[in-house]
Parts: sequence; structure tokens; C-alpha cells
Amino acid sequence: MTDQDNKKIERRQFLTRATKAGISIAAAGIVSARLYDRQGPKAAVDAGLLVTLPDFSVPRKNGQTICIVKGSDRKATVSKAIELLGGIERFVAKGEIVAIKPNVAFASSPLLGATTHPELVAEVVRLAYKAGAKQVIVTDNPINDPASCFTLTGIGKAASDAGARVILPKPGLFRHTTLPGGKLIVNWPIFYEPFAKADKLIGIAPVKHHHRSGASMTMKNWYGLLGGRRNVFHQDINTIIAELALMVKPTLVILDGTEVMVTNGPTGGSVSDLRRADTLIASTDCVAADSFGCTLLGLKPSDLPYLAKAQNAGAGTTDYESLKPIFAAVG
Amino acid sequence: MGLISRRPGRLESGIGIFLLAILLLIGLGVFIKQSDFDMSRFGINTAALVLSAQGSKTGTEEKPSFDFPVPSGFKKLSEAETYVPENLYEKIDGKATLYIESGFVKLSTQRFVSQNDDTLWFELFLFDMAAPKNAFSVYSVQKRPDVEAFPAMQFAYSAGNALYFVHDKYYVELVGSSESADLLKAMSDLADKLTPAPVFRQENAGVGKVTEIPELTLFPQENLVPGSAKLYLSDVFGFDGLSDTFVCQYRAGDESITAFLSKRPSPQDARTVTESYYNFLVDNGGKDKLASDKNLQTIKCKVLDFYDTTEIIFAIGPYVAGIHEAKNQQSAEKLAAELFNKLSKIARTTKND
Amino acid sequence: MKIVHVRRISQAFFFSLFVWFCIVSTVGDKFWQLRGWPINLFLWLDPLSAIGTALTTHTLYWPLLWALVTIVSTIIFGRFFCGWVCPFGTLHNFVGFLGNRKKSPSQKIQLNKYRKAQCIKYIILILLLGMAAFPSIDATLQAGLLDPIPLVTRSFNLLLLPILDKSVGFVSATARFYEGGWFILAIFLAVVLLNLVIPRFYCRFICPLGALFGIISRFAIWRIGKTQSECIDCKLCERSCEGGCEPAGKIRISECVLCFNCREDCKHQFIGYQTRPSLAGEITNPDISRRGFVLSLASGIIAAPAVRLSNQLGSNWYHRVIRPPGALPEEEFLKRCIKCGQCMRVCPTNVIQPGGIEGGLENFWTPVLNNRIGTSGCQLNCTACGQVCPTSAIRPITLSEKLGTDDFARVGPIRVGTAFFDRDRCLPWAMDKPCIVCEENCPVSPKAIYTQECFNTIRDGILTVKKVTENLIETVEETLTPGKLATGDYYCAVEGSRRCKIAANAENWIEILPDERFEKIPGAGSKIELQVRLQRPYVDIERCIGCGVCEHECPVSGKKAIMVSAVGETRSTDHRLLLKR
Repeated sequence: MTDQDNKKIERRQFLTRATKAGISIAAAGIVSARLYDRQGPKAAVDAGLLVTLPDFSVPRKNGQTICIVKGSDRKATVSKAIELLGGIERFVAKGEIVAIKPNVAFASSPLLGATTHPELVAEVVRLAYKAGAKQVIVTDNPINDPASCFTLTGIGKAASDAGARVILPKPGLFRHTTLPGGKLIVNWPIFYEPFAKADKLIGIAPVKHHHRSGASMTMKNWYGLLGGRRNVFHQDINTIIAELALMVKPTLVILDGTEVMVTNGPTGGSVSDLRRADTLIASTDCVAADSFGCTLLGLKPSDLPYLAKAQNAGAGTTDYESLKPIFAAVG
Repeated sequence: MGLISRRPGRLESGIGIFLLAILLLIGLGVFIKQSDFDMSRFGINTAALVLSAQGSKTGTEEKPSFDFPVPSGFKKLSEAETYVPENLYEKIDGKATLYIESGFVKLSTQRFVSQNDDTLWFELFLFDMAAPKNAFSVYSVQKRPDVEAFPAMQFAYSAGNALYFVHDKYYVELVGSSESADLLKAMSDLADKLTPAPVFRQENAGVGKVTEIPELTLFPQENLVPGSAKLYLSDVFGFDGLSDTFVCQYRAGDESITAFLSKRPSPQDARTVTESYYNFLVDNGGKDKLASDKNLQTIKCKVLDFYDTTEIIFAIGPYVAGIHEAKNQQSAEKLAAELFNKLSKIARTTKND
Repeated sequence: MKIVHVRRISQAFFFSLFVWFCIVSTVGDKFWQLRGWPINLFLWLDPLSAIGTALTTHTLYWPLLWALVTIVSTIIFGRFFCGWVCPFGTLHNFVGFLGNRKKSPSQKIQLNKYRKAQCIKYIILILLLGMAAFPSIDATLQAGLLDPIPLVTRSFNLLLLPILDKSVGFVSATARFYEGGWFILAIFLAVVLLNLVIPRFYCRFICPLGALFGIISRFAIWRIGKTQSECIDCKLCERSCEGGCEPAGKIRISECVLCFNCREDCKHQFIGYQTRPSLAGEITNPDISRRGFVLSLASGIIAAPAVRLSNQLGSNWYHRVIRPPGALPEEEFLKRCIKCGQCMRVCPTNVIQPGGIEGGLENFWTPVLNNRIGTSGCQLNCTACGQVCPTSAIRPITLSEKLGTDDFARVGPIRVGTAFFDRDRCLPWAMDKPCIVCEENCPVSPKAIYTQECFNTIRDGILTVKKVTENLIETVEETLTPGKLATGDYYCAVEGSRRCKIAANAENWIEILPDERFEKIPGAGSKIELQVRLQRPYVDIERCIGCGVCEHECPVSGKKAIMVSAVGETRSTDHRLLLKR
């Protein structure tokens, strides 16, 4: 190798190295520029990351807002009620994803009436698929351990047997939200992801007495969407229920008054806490549904402060009579 | 290539010096940075930023913005003090409202005492009012009656133990411990020293006539009581729709007539304000009456009888002007006509807004 | 000007600057106090802080842009930071020099041999960066534990300075204390003394920052190397080699710290700082294999969630971990805290302490408030800690945000916790002894501690009247302690009358205040009750901000009768006590 060649090789090596150095510097510069943060971190979760639940409601139809069907067979009463409100096709279109939110709060047997009856869940799933839904999701964020709740209440099996997908809560499925004008739901985590992908939302809840709020029905059912240390809201239970009714705009709610828990709610614990009322209510207005439902507990709507709060906030009406309820009976 | 210890080459030394220079620059940079600080970032009771609700005495803690000149024969007594809107009342109590409503920014005070006699002392109050108009306003509305004009300055007067004046955006009070000629001399000495001082330096300053209040030239000069001009910034004559209004006194025989004028942002606004003030007077018992002076009859103005006094209001160009609570209708109308003529000439020549 | 002399001047300069920054880190406006001194300069120049926080938070906090200067300079010139700037490196350099200068050249050459163990620092670096790399799998920033700049800052500020200043009282009027200081000392001493075994022990074997520089100096334009391919192999160049990089043979560029000692020691000028690679060959890559790299990275990725298995960021959180006001929510906090100890150094009341491992391993050396130490609790009108935090793990809040005034009136003040009474220890609650020190010292307005008056009959307080003369009541029993009831807290209750305050007493009489009268004078043989007036304190949780002044002032020493717990802190929605903030 001549000196000339050596020098050439050296120069080439140097240039290669210099280029690599230059590229590294450029890379460092670009990364710094992209990540550069002049503001520094903020106190709370960034407002940009807040989500809003979609609006799942369907257009109103006069005279077809609330339907009350008497009967002891849940499958029959719910089918009838939905039929009278315009049929499942009014609520579920072909190819849609339907989310069903039953009350799966406790790991207790369906006999005790503390959770939604699995038969009811299965029937609604079946109806949704009949209407051509692409997928039906059954989900909730229970108080007790989620896996046990879905199993022991029978809802997990009933749902999957009917072809629905059960989604258990996981940390990654929660996102923060703020209810516009809300006092309590401010920057609070909610169980969000399963509902974000859905086109329709159906809530199914039993009629129960509740020690704190007086009653637990379709509006209280949405408590299951709250994440974090949600017990703190029990300090102002009526406001939180009213805010939930504003935050969640479902397609349809089904209030199961076949066997009503009249004492020791919300967990109950004994069949003697139940009383047969053989009534099922389907409604597009939660406030109206709950207002009728409380009569099954021997209460008046005025006995439940959260109803008035929700009505005043515009979430619905307590005067169910004005909605021209459809009454029917099966069997 | 020897076995003795090497001498550093030119390049090595050069680079070495260069690197040392960099170190020096770094040291310098750090040194400069250390003087640029704001202690309020750390909280902890820093001077005038503590909310007055917490009741701490802030007056003596902050470094004064001005280092005041000292009149001859006197020396500084105590540290200079500084006050901001939040704690102004700690120094002047109820009067603070007047200043704060007039655009007050900061008050700096300093006491001086005679070197020979320590019962002879005075205090300087330097109010930064943010604008010459504001300073003039607080100066004029607090002007004591029966005072002597202080000729050395444009807007200044002295009372037995005090000297008050306006300079640019500052309203200055020099208040002495007693009515003493020596004190007054020291105070005017200080006033002299203050006005050319950097603190007051203005680009277009002429000695003595530094503060220009253009509206004062709009008033007819005949029979004007000198030094009677006042500027009210808000709630003029008890009406909240009237603001930024100059009020002057005129002599008519044994009586005095009050004329007023306010420059509005636009002729539209002037007409609106005139209308609302008229309505305000009517609502409160004013009654329309005819102008007896034929000059006035030709111009568009409102003449009212307000509990046996005459009120005249008109708008011309961007100006709202008139006469307030005059006892003699003729004199009032005559003055109103003069005022109108002067303003219309000006409104014609200055075609702004 | 010999380049090695310049290097030594540079080391001395930066070391002095560093020590000066440590000294001036006291809040105040004198020249030797905080003022505008850029005390975080070394921490910001440290690329490990910048890269670490960039990995965990996906942002580059603006002052950390200084690190770009260091990175770019290192890419161009090599590991100059280690040899010329790093104060820790200077310390090791110096101690190594002191410890080994009496040794013979051949011994020194032996000490400076390259050792395979020098690859450990790369493993440590990759492990630490692995733990930081994946925020979705519990990223945590632990680089600060071994990063030399935070380490030396911590050691000086929390250890050396308090000890040296204790008798002088120059930096701080009162003695400063830091919990677990012995452990910081142990590590510091161990690492510094190991230089007597092998020079620059820490730099060669442990330092993750050096490892980082080693990696990015691969493409350095200028590097140390031989100017000729053949030399006499006397190995004198390795006599004072700081980096252990073997310039005599194939020089390891990633280990070279640019001390230039080799160039100085070579009597034949065969070593230079040049753009061409060393003519005797060079090794640019750090000495870890691909397998080593992958294993380290995997370990780091597993380690991060592993340290969180006890759910200490969830429901099993430890309530006595009280963070300074302005601290980010815990998960975000742990992504930014580099455990430099600046907040602990600057805190005027000395309550910020290095945490231990209660509440998890990640808590180690992070700032935790201990209200028993120091001169008072967290001072109300102070925002110093957030202002000095180099990575904004504690945000630089304004006073109005801390107190909840002006713009922040709607959201209210920042709470770091809530005070809880231990009624079994509190004097008025459990011992019938009047005391309201906590209420008196509560700095917020309106106070967060309020009292309710109650009257309790004292022990053996029911006595029989012998005779009543005006304001004097003589008792049959002679059991009273003279003067005990004269403090103004004791009352005499009599049937049918309002209770009256006692002014004085001896063994067998009590005297009520001169202007008090019994409505119904007790007759001989009737009973009177001696009562103590207690003001029993309560915490108003809507006002309490957890500052801990009450805890500090509580006279029940040892275990206080009022203690602050982090529950109710506003930085975390999970730890909320009240419905609204």
C-alpha cells in the first residue's frame, strides 16, 4: 500500500466517522426538539386526554317512551316490552356493536336479586343478534372481584352462551372524563374502552332498595361505569346519581321488577328480602323508568331526591304519566 | 524526540489558553446569572407581594426603586418605603380607595429630617399613577381651597406645611411636621432636585411645563379662575355614565359658574353620553326649559332647570361639555356659548376620530 | 501551557463550582445564598437525567436541554466530561492519586490495566434504562441512584455539608439533619476509598453516566491514539492512565476519559489526540456482547414491574409517604425524581428527608416529609422545593397555587395530607390536661384545628365543703396540691350555680376569682366538684393542608398526638378524603 492509498483510506474512514458523528448529533437534536417541553408537567391529568362517552340514544317517539309489562316470565315480558316500544329494530341496526350493561356488582347468586337476572341478559343479547348486531358486549365494573361476580351471578355464562363477549375491567380500559357543568365527575376515571367502540348501549337493572340512596334502579346502575375510589361519592349520593344520568345517554334501559328487593338493599342476602311484583319496565328515559319503578318499592318519586335533581338537570322526567306509558300483560 | 520532558508546542498551548478562556466565560456566565433572581419565586414573605390579608408590615422590606436626593441641611430619616395597591391602605388608610380607583401603581415614601433640629422633618410621598391624567386627577380633586399657587411648577400649590404637585405621571406630596418656612424651603429644594432627576426625565421635557394636559386649553380663558381645574375620573356629578371629565370654575360677578368638558373616544359616544346624562337629570327631577340666549337657541343643546339651578349639556364632535348647577341662567348660557364656539372651532380643525 | 495542566485547572474549576453551588443552596438573597445561582447546572448537563426522563415521560423538560451540549460535545470530542468536568470523577482522580502516588511505575501500570469487569457499568446503564424504557409496563426512573451527579450532589448536600457546618453554622443557622445519612455515607465512603484499591474505581466499573458517554463517543472526531504503529512498548503511557483504556496497545476508546496523562508521560511523543484512529489499533465498542446487552435490557424491563408487585402505587400505598407540595401524582413523580436531594437541601425547615424503603423500593432517597425533624412543619409561604427540582418531579408552583388564592381560588390550596389526632395520646383528650398548642400554631386562616370546650371533673375532684367565706371555700379533705388549680384552667362547680373559675388553692381550700360569685352558696357538708376546662381539638379536614406544623409543635414528644397522613393529598384522586378537593 502506498502512502497515497493509506491517506485515501484514512480520509475515507475519517469521513465515515465524521458522517456518523454528524448523524448522531442530528438525531440527538431532532429528538430533543420533538420532545422539548417548555411548560413542564401539569398538576392533573391533561385536559387533552379527557374522553366523553358517546351518545347512544335513539330519536324519541311520542307514546313509545316507556312500557310496563306484567308477567312472571322475564323472557316473555322483556320481548313484549321491546316489541311495544317499536321492536328491537328501533334500537339496534344491522351491523352495529351493542354494549349491554347489567348490574353485576356483587358476587351473589341470581336468586338473591342483588344483580341482574342472567335470563334477562341472555334474552336481550339474543334479541340484539336477531336485529343483526355485529357483536354484543356484556360488561360491568363490579364492586367485588370481577371474575367471581360474572361467574357467580350466572351472567358470564348466560352472556357467552348467547354469543356475547364478556369484557372484564382492566386498568388500561379506564380513561378520565369530566362532565360539563358537573361538580363531582371532574377529571374522574371511567370504565370507557368497551363503550367507546359500541354503537348502542342497553342498561339492565333490578329494582332494589338501597340504604344510602333509597333505591337502586336504572340510574344507579351507571355507578358501575365509575372507576377510581368511587366510594367517596357516597358522601353526596344524590348528586352523583344525577350526574351519572347526565353522563350516560343509553339507547334503552330495562328495569326488572319481577322480584323486587324491598329491604336490606343493595346486597340483600336472603330471599325474604324479595317480594314478587312481576313487573318489567322498558324505557328510553331513565328518570321515568326509575320514577315508576320506585312505586314497586312502595315509594313515591318525591321520596328519592336524586330523581328531582336529575329532572331539573334535564336528564328526563319524573312524570311518567305524561309520557303516555304503554301497559301490557303477558301470560 | 528526546528523553527530556517535553515543552508544550504552540498548538497545545494555544488550545490550552482557548480552553481556559472557555472556563472563564462559563464562570462569568454563572456570575451574571446569579444576579438575575426573583426571590418571590420562593414565597417566604417577600416584600410587597404578601397579601395584605396576612397583615404583615411590608413597608420597610423591599428595596426602594428610587434613591431620593437629599435637600441641603437635611438628612434621610429611616428607610424608604414602597407600597402597592394591595397594601396601600396600610400607609394612607381610607384615602387608598381614591388612588386605587384612579390608576394607582406604586407609592414610594421617604422621610427627611433637619440636621440641626430633629423636630423639623417632612415626608415625601411619590405616587406613581401610571399616566399624567391620573396624577392630575388625584392632585386636582384633593386640592385644598385657599392655597397658594406654587409658581415654579405647572400644577403645584403649597399649604402651610406642605407642597403638592404633579410631574408627568407622578403625584407628589411633601408633608412637613410643622408650618415652618425652613421646611417649606427644604421641600421646594427637594422638588427642584426631583424634577430634573432621572426618575422624571422625559424626552420632550421643558423645565416647568412638563406635564401637558391638553384638555385644559380647551376651556375659554376669560374669567377662568386660575388653578381651579379638576379632573374627575369616574362618577362625575353623581352619574356613573360620565367619566374623565374636566371641571373648571369661572367668575361671573360675585358668583362662580362651573363648566365641564369631557373628551370621548368618538362623536357617537359623545352623543350617547350626552343623551344618558340628560336622561339621568330628568329622572332625578330636571325639567327642560328654553334657552333665553339666542346664541344658544341655534345650537343643539339641552337646557334644564334642576332644582332652581341651570344645567346645560351639549355634544360637539367628540366632546361632551356644559355648565353645571349655575345659579344665574344668563351667565351660564353666555359661558356655554363661548365654550361651544371654542370647541366647535377645534372640532372642525382637528379631524381626528 | 500543557494540556494536562489545563485539564487539572478545569477539574479544579468545576469541582469548586460544584462545591460552591452546594454551599449557596440556602434560600436567601445574600451573595452566599441562593439568589440566581444556577445550582442545578451539573444536574442539567448530565445526559442521564435528560435521557432517563425522556424515556419515562416522553418529554424533555426544558432546562434539560443543557444535556444536548454535553451529548454533542461528547460525540465530537469523546469522554471529556469524565476527565475534565465531573466533580465526582475529580474526587476519584484525586483520591486515587493520593493513594497510589508512592507506588512504583510497574505497580501503577498493573493497576491501570483494562479489566473485563469494566463492562459492568454498561450492564448497569442498560438495566437502568431498561427500567425506564416502557411507561406502559410501569416505567420507573432509578438512574438517579447510581448516576454520579445526583450521587455526589446528594452526598455533599445531605452528608458532608451538614456535618461540616454543624459547628460553624455558616450555611445554616440551625443544624441540619437527614435521615439515613449513615447509609449515604457508607456508599460515598466505600466508593471513594475503593480508589485506593484501583484508581477511579467507580468511574471504571460502576458509573452508568460514563458508560453512556462510552457508547456515544464511538464516532468522536478526535481521539487519543498512537502516532506510530510501532513503539518501544515501555508502557509508561499507562502509568497514570485514568480510564484504564490501555493506550499502549489497542486503545479502548469507550474507556478513555481524555486525561491526556498518556500523552504527557510518553517520552517519545508517540501518543497524540488526533483525527485518525490510533495506529496501534483501537476498539470503539464497549465490551459487552449482544447476549449481555439483551440480558441486561430484559432484566431491566422485568425489574420495573417487579418492584411494584406490592401494589404500593395502588390500594396498598403507604400513608406516611408525604410528598412536598407541588409533587406530581406518584406514578408521574417516580418517572422524574432523580433523587438528587436538592429539595432536601433547600427546604428551609429541613422537613424534606430522604425516604427509606417503606412504601416500596422506589421510595428510596425520594423526598418525604418528616414533620418531627427540623424547625417546623412545611412552611406556609414557601415554594422553594419546587423551584429547585431539576426535573420538575416537584412542580415549580407559585405561592398562589399553593395557597389557593387569586387564579387558584376556585380549586383551593394544595394539600399534602391531613392531620389526624391520636386521642389516646392527646393531652386534653386523654389526660385531662389543657393544651391547644396545635391550634395556636396552625398557620392557615381560618384555622384547620378548632376546639370544643368541655369540663371534666378532675381526679379526686369531689370534695366536701367545710366553710365558705366570700370567695374562699374551705374543704374537709386536705388532699389538694397547693397552687395546682391556680392556672386559670380550673373551675369549681356547685349544685344550683354556674361554675366559677378558681384563682388559688392550698391543701384544704380553694379561692374563686374575685369578681365571681356562686348563685347558691354551698352549705357545710355539701359537695363541690373541681373541674378542668379543656379545649378539645378537632381537625377540620376541609381546611387542613397537611403542613405538619401541629405535628412538629405537639408537646407529646416521641410519638405525637397529632400526625399527618398523606390521605387527602390533592395531587392524587385516589387518596382523596373529601368529595371535593
